[in-house]
Amino acid sequence: MMSERNIVQKKICMLGTFAVGKTSLVRRFVQSIYSDKYHTTVGVKIDKKLIDMDGTQKMMMMLWDVEGAEQAHELRKSYLRGASGYLLVADGTRKETLYRALEIQTRAQDALGLVPYVFLINKSDLVDEWTIDERELEALVEKGWHVIRTSAKSGVGVEEAFMALARKMMEMPK
Amino acid sequence: MMAEPRSQDVLEEGVHLDAASDDAEMAELRSLLLGPAEGQIAEIHERLTDPHRQLTEVSTVLPDAIAVRTRQDDELANALGPTVTTAIERSVRKNPQPLVDAIFPVIGPAIRRAISVALSGMVQSLNQSMAYSFSVQGLKWRIEAWRTGKPFAEVVMLHTLLFRVEQVFLIHRETGLLLQHVVAGSAAVQDADMVSGMLTAIQDFVHDSFNSPAEEQLETLEVGELTVWIEQGPLAILAAVIRGTAPQELRPVFQETLETIHLQFRTALQDFSGDASEFDGARPLLEDCLQTQVDQDKQAAAPNRFPRSLIVIASIILLALLVWGFFAWRDSRRWNAYVERVRREPGVVVTDAGTRDGKYFIDGLRDPLARDPQAFLAEANVDPKTVVTRFEPFQAMSPEFVLPRARRLLEPPPTVNLKFDNGVLEAEGFASLEWITEMRRTVRFVPGVTQFKDENLLAVDRIVNPSLLFELDKTEPAPGQEEKFKQLMADIERLQKLAESMNKNARLEITGHADGSGSEERNAELSRGRAEKIASELNARLPSKNNLTIVAAASKEKLRAELTEADRAANRSVTFKIILTDAR
Ligand SMILES: Nc1nc2c(ncn2[C@@H]2O[C@H](COP(=O)(O)OP(=O)(O)O)[C@@H](O)[C@H]2O)c(=O)[nH]1
Ligand SMILES: [Mg+2]
Repeated sequence: MMSERNIVQKKICMLGTFAVGKTSLVRRFVQSIYSDKYHTTVGVKIDKKLIDMDGTQKMMMMLWDVEGAEQAHELRKSYLRGASGYLLVADGTRKETLYRALEIQTRAQDALGLVPYVFLINKSDLVDEWTIDERELEALVEKGWHVIRTSAKSGVGVEEAFMALARKMMEMPK
Repeated sequence: MMAEPRSQDVLEEGVHLDAASDDAEMAELRSLLLGPAEGQIAEIHERLTDPHRQLTEVSTVLPDAIAVRTRQDDELANALGPTVTTAIERSVRKNPQPLVDAIFPVIGPAIRRAISVALSGMVQSLNQSMAYSFSVQGLKWRIEAWRTGKPFAEVVMLHTLLFRVEQVFLIHRETGLLLQHVVAGSAAVQDADMVSGMLTAIQDFVHDSFNSPAEEQLETLEVGELTVWIEQGPLAILAAVIRGTAPQELRPVFQETLETIHLQFRTALQDFSGDASEFDGARPLLEDCLQTQVDQDKQAAAPNRFPRSLIVIASIILLALLVWGFFAWRDSRRWNAYVERVRREPGVVVTDAGTRDGKYFIDGLRDPLARDPQAFLAEANVDPKTVVTRFEPFQAMSPEFVLPRARRLLEPPPTVNLKFDNGVLEAEGFASLEWITEMRRTVRFVPGVTQFKDENLLAVDRIVNPSLLFELDKTEPAPGQEEKFKQLMADIERLQKLAESMNKNARLEITGHADGSGSEERNAELSRGRAEKIASELNARLPSKNNLTIVAAASKEKLRAELTEADRAANRSVTFKIILTDAR
């Protein structure tokens, strides 16, 4: 049964190593502003954004952003539980964050099963300091991964990344 | 029992008999004997040996068979008991969640019912004492409502707002997404969906951080003056935001609601994919959580029907009001009568009267000669303690005040009569010349007197001492006194007339005097002789003497010190004393 309000709620998790820009991305997406001020919150920060899928369908994205130096092995199940999708974030200027992201993805898939995700390579504004090998990204794309370069600072790719995830989630069978 | 072995024997006998015969014959014989039943026998054989056929057949009769047997006795239950127990044990050991999910809606009420039965005796006595104390309370509130003019329900609300369930969240346990949110009153709460997520996250955080077992969940959160009560179900969470101190009795209300929701929305909860509108049907249940508890309290605290005691008290109040009203009405009537009385009083002017600060007051002007208005209070039955009186002094111009005022200022002797009419003050009678002179000066300053008349006022000095002179050492008056004597007689006549008009009798006492020469004896003789001489002269010559008594007396007193011959001559005389008595 379709809601009269045509709003569907989805829990979305931000996954990725410490300081890759998860919080900044959420803030950019939700409020369309970018702050250089770095806030560390304890536990979880939840934000929301209502997005228009098409003429009639709206989606309320509940964005769960974990705080702290979360490592793959200590990614909490309770944090992931019930998520309809996730954004996997790596920092383009720090190569190792890509490998951490891959580990985290494995673990998330264990916990959630095959839920949609999009892989974000963030800080695309810092091209000079770019350390990630483009060939490695291409290999992922070939595997069927959806990879998007984003910058929370300039806003490039941010909207696109969240919308891509939203569309994937809508396509998922119930 | 007996027939069976026999027939068997016959059959065996037959077999023995046929032993020698041919196989084909036997087959023919068999088919002849059994005929069409042969095929049926084969089918029966198959039914008995094929396990698959058996399964299907038993399965068709099994449910009915169980039903039939169960109706007969408990043997089936006895037989199945151990197996079922083992099966459940194994199932639970493998994964307890399905069982927990299944029995959750049932077990909660069951446990609570057991506890409530155990406690019911205690609760009942408690309820009674509560009802009693509340009825008194309720009465107070009714009076307060009556006094303040507020609706009764509002007064109760003010007093019973020990707590209020302000918001209730129904949260999907798995995703932390908000299913429904209800708010008490008009207070709009924003971001309920984020609060919902945070509550779940906090739950998880507490659970993970303290490594507590799954069934021990966070139940209460304190946020400022708000308390969040969290009820956990297997599929959904109910969180209630409460202002104030909520009673523990509220917990079961939430628990029951959550259980009902689990029963009604089980599949929707399991298959939830983000469409919260599927749970719109749970809103009334959640709204009940917002209000019932407060309403129940209200009702318990103040029964909606008027208790008999209240009617009695209301009647008493009404009666008291009536009595009070009567006395208030009577008092105001008395007061008005009093004010009227004061207004009528001469020399008193009422400028303002009424009530002020719960007391009567009367302001005005009062002539010092007028009666004190306070004197009428007792007569009017007004309690002096309830009255504030303020009268400024003033001079009243009405006749009744001019005359007393004139008397006070002029101080007339008893022989003077004052009359006042239309601005004219008249003095009649007699007095010393000194007083008359003084009076003539003062009368001009008496307020209210425009004219003064004293034609009928006689100066008595000429009578008191008419200066009649006598010959040396003789009782005969000296020559040339005739004029003075006539004057004296006229004066006495006038005096007598005045006395008559004043309804008095006048008496004259004549005292004779002598000069210092000669002996004492001679002088006494001379004094008396002189007084008698004048008295007889007057008696002889006054026309009417009925009212006049003349007494002669001697005196050793000298009228003045004798320094000259003139002094001595003046001392050879008579003096008069006028004595007035009331006429009979
Ligand atoms: N230049 C640049 N800096 C970024 C970008 N996104 C995040 N940062 C910075 O990276 C740091 C970590 O960001 P944060 O969002 O807190 O990362 P998180 O730990 O993944 O939440 C902060 O100092 C951000 O200002 C970006 O797109 N470009
Ligand atoms: Mg962060």
